[in-house]
Amino acid sequence: MLGEGDSKTEPKAPGGRRAGGRGPERLGRRAGQRRRGEHDAAPRADFRGRRVPSARQAGAGPGRSARFSAPWRPTGAERPRRWPCGGGCSVGHCHPLVVQAAHEQNQVLNTNSRYLHDNIVDYAQRLSETLPEKLCVFYFLNSGSEANDLALRLARQYTGHWDVVVLDHAYHGHLSSLIDISPYKFRGLDGQKEWVHVAPLPDTYRGPYREDHPNPAVAYASEVKRVVSSVQEKGRKIAAFFAESLPSVGGQIIPPAGYFPEVAEHVRRAGGVFVADEIQVGFGRVGKHFWAFQLQGEDFVPDIVTMGKSIGNGHPVACVATTQAVARAFEATGVEYFNTFGGSPVSCAVGLAVLDVLEKEQLQAHAACVGSFLMELLGQQKAKHPIIGDIRGVGLFVGVDLIKDKATRTPATEEADYLVSRLKENYILLSTDGPGRNVLKFKPPMCFSLDNAQHVVAKLDAILTDMEEKMRSCETLRLQPEAALLSPPLGECALLLVLGDPELGSLPSAVAPSFQTFCL
Amino acid sequence: MCELYSKQDTLALRRKHIGPSCKVLYAADPIKIVRAQRQYMFDEKGERYLDCINNVAHVGHCHPEVVKAALKQMEVLNTNSRFLHDNIVEYAKRLAATLPEQLSVCYFTNSGSEANDLALRLARQFRGHPDVVTLEHAYHGHLSSLIEISPYKFRKGKDVKKEFVHVAPAPDIYRGKYRENHADPASAYADEVKKIIEEAQNRGRKIAAFIAESMQSCGGQIIPPAGYFQKVAEYVRGVGGVVIADEVQVGFGRVGKHFWSFQMHGKDFVPDIVTMGKPMGNGHPMACVVTTKEIAEAFSSSGMEYFNTYGGNPVSSAVGLAVLDVIENEDLQGNATRVGTYLTELLNRQKAKHTLIGDVRGVGLFVGIDLVKDRQKRTPATAEAQHVIYKMKENRVLLSADGPHRNVLKIKPPMCFTEEDAKFMVDQLDGVLTVLEEAIGAQTESVVPENTPCRTKGGPQERFGLETLGEEVKQKSLCS
Repeated sequence: MLGEGDSKTEPKAPGGRRAGGRGPERLGRRAGQRRRGEHDAAPRADFRGRRVPSARQAGAGPGRSARFSAPWRPTGAERPRRWPCGGGCSVGHCHPLVVQAAHEQNQVLNTNSRYLHDNIVDYAQRLSETLPEKLCVFYFLNSGSEANDLALRLARQYTGHWDVVVLDHAYHGHLSSLIDISPYKFRGLDGQKEWVHVAPLPDTYRGPYREDHPNPAVAYASEVKRVVSSVQEKGRKIAAFFAESLPSVGGQIIPPAGYFPEVAEHVRRAGGVFVADEIQVGFGRVGKHFWAFQLQGEDFVPDIVTMGKSIGNGHPVACVATTQAVARAFEATGVEYFNTFGGSPVSCAVGLAVLDVLEKEQLQAHAACVGSFLMELLGQQKAKHPIIGDIRGVGLFVGVDLIKDKATRTPATEEADYLVSRLKENYILLSTDGPGRNVLKFKPPMCFSLDNAQHVVAKLDAILTDMEEKMRSCETLRLQPEAALLSPPLGECALLLVLGDPELGSLPSAVAPSFQTFCL
Repeated sequence: MCELYSKQDTLALRRKHIGPSCKVLYAADPIKIVRAQRQYMFDEKGERYLDCINNVAHVGHCHPEVVKAALKQMEVLNTNSRFLHDNIVEYAKRLAATLPEQLSVCYFTNSGSEANDLALRLARQFRGHPDVVTLEHAYHGHLSSLIEISPYKFRKGKDVKKEFVHVAPAPDIYRGKYRENHADPASAYADEVKKIIEEAQNRGRKIAAFIAESMQSCGGQIIPPAGYFQKVAEYVRGVGGVVIADEVQVGFGRVGKHFWSFQMHGKDFVPDIVTMGKPMGNGHPMACVVTTKEIAEAFSSSGMEYFNTYGGNPVSSAVGLAVLDVIENEDLQGNATRVGTYLTELLNRQKAKHTLIGDVRGVGLFVGIDLVKDRQKRTPATAEAQHVIYKMKENRVLLSADGPHRNVLKIKPPMCFTEEDAKFMVDQLDGVLTVLEEAIGAQTESVVPENTPCRTKGGPQERFGLETLGEEVKQKSLCS
């Protein structure tokens, strides 16, 4: 079963051409020069003159041909017993092409970016082809956190301003500077700094403007406008608006279309820049586009884009893409930017291999297809299980919002935690997030199949059914889809007997909110 | 070696797509390196260079044991540290075994910068103090929080020093306030820290940490005098602060006699937090913070989870373990002592011969050659240093210059550097310095009357094309 619209058409090449259809300006290759992907399978000599086999010759697992064109899929023997639904391994754990690229480059050279090397420039060029034309200058680093920190520095230097507008429940990284701009982290801990301004998360399920609002995009964008105005009234100046293109930690939120362009207008009018954090969601995950911000329209172009996590299939790589104007302003400080490992030949070889795999295996189209199928199946489950308040997603970025009560949409936090532990017993790895820790997050490796989707949903169905029969710990677990709202509550006692230790006076630890935040 | 692009095209693409703040070495004539093995790098023409710069390739470029360990693990699993795995715990155990007993809790990150940022967070969380004492010319990383505590960076960027940052003089006994002729420079420099702490306290400020590179590299290959850190630690801890030893450049046996540079100061000096990076993975992106149980518990009691997507992953840990194995199996520490001693000896002979060499300082394979125009005044020979590194490049030796005046030739090669390499490097240097000094000397004789400072047009700079290198010097120096 395929998703709507995509089944018969040739999937669009990931990385799509830039707006305006202008082809990439590639510098010519000399005759005889190797094209990327033509891996040399001949053994090399190591530094003692011993022959070192290539990954293929080293018997590096099944299907490790340097030139295979069929998509890599685990065969029966290696099929994992557990189906992971989260993680930074975008093209699949231990993808042989990526492993081979890393290994081959590791044997030849891995040093810093102060020497000229083809990999870094080739990679930058390839990345530039996936982005709107003006985002053509790159900085390579090792983690999304480093990338966001640099984005902050770039924004401040370019604008000469200091303040930052962020979304509620945002998470941009673990560095000191990023905790400061991550309400998800600073609330209840260090507290909000005076130069940080928080706008409401554009959550049309749980936020102030919901699915019944005539124009939530404009409404939420007006909130940003209000924040910007109040900042200016205090005599402060906005350097940047920072947002995850699809807030993940905030609960798998899909901002309404039109929101970002409106926000960008308000922010730029105030002299700030728009930073799109694609660390969780870039590289074709959303199916329809390579970058999640592209869901907001072809005309919308951020000033700075940060990428990480899935970029290297697990290898520590990250990147900041920006405009020439921003890059030049940063250079004008006279301070060099040097990142010891960023842009190394190995990291770039890995990044290039990931792009190759995304293209060859058509993973972007695959994400659209499997994602639609998954949403459809989950939609059926929503009709069946009242605890599912909302299903939202695009491509292989999906959230299942569990609620205790249909009217109030109270997060079913404990139930979500319990569900996740039951799924684990069934060899399915899922995590929860959102401020209520009640949203099941699906963002699996992009080779996630239709079978996998079917399997996960079948298990989810079975466990939810079981919870409805035995647990009944909240309103929605006691309701039938068309049944009357009221149902005699069974009380705490029944919950304790079913779930765990009856000696405990409160919910057992297995279901108590663990508040673990799986920001994968 | 197959190239994708000609060198010219590579450079053009770089100018087009890579942030211009990302500088190349030898900007007037960059080199394209396509291959490296052990302590040698090869350009696109197959020319071999002796690498005296890359301490990151600690056990030698592309060491097969490290490459093999990475491959083996990459084929099996590379995921995050939220799942139990043997590699991360084994690696933490092995690292902790190299350190004093109280330093037993590890946090794995991807870069020295991430490690130093976390160190700051740990220090600040410990007693809730915000202020940091740092050293002049220090460099701790490129992140926002670290630029703030790196005078090497914020002074250049003309950023205002933050009020919570306090800068103490670098304990440089060649060029600093208290020199080799001082009776007790260690105490004198430590007293400077004490003074700063007292001033801060009097203003109601609270010190979270004193942070210092165990040996400053960007600051000019500075080796703090023995006893300095002990005294500083006493003052800092006396006001509730902690001591952070930044070993990102200099750890993993580089100094020869010890695994960690801070250990040169004696068993009675134990930092509260140690950060490491660069050489740790022989080029693989990885780093680490090691601290005490007490500090770790204070951090976790904040309730905030610390999650680093890639830090501590099975591949990085496997690579780290392989590097530790090679250091041990190939006795690289022993090699660093032997070759480092020999190198320093050769350089001291050069110092006797060349007036341009003001100072030779070093320990193990961490050496600096301080070039001066005038031995009495110790005027940094900045342009000359740039000239030397370009000439050495022509002679196929890669060197960099650093220090606040960009006049210190930095030598911190892969640890498999041999005595032959040392001899070769010094012979080339001898040749370059001889020619340079002759020219300067000759020029001084012909153009400038006795006792007049040599600053006329047509002076040595122009004779050697050094005026174009003046621009190089204005560029921010290459702290690697």
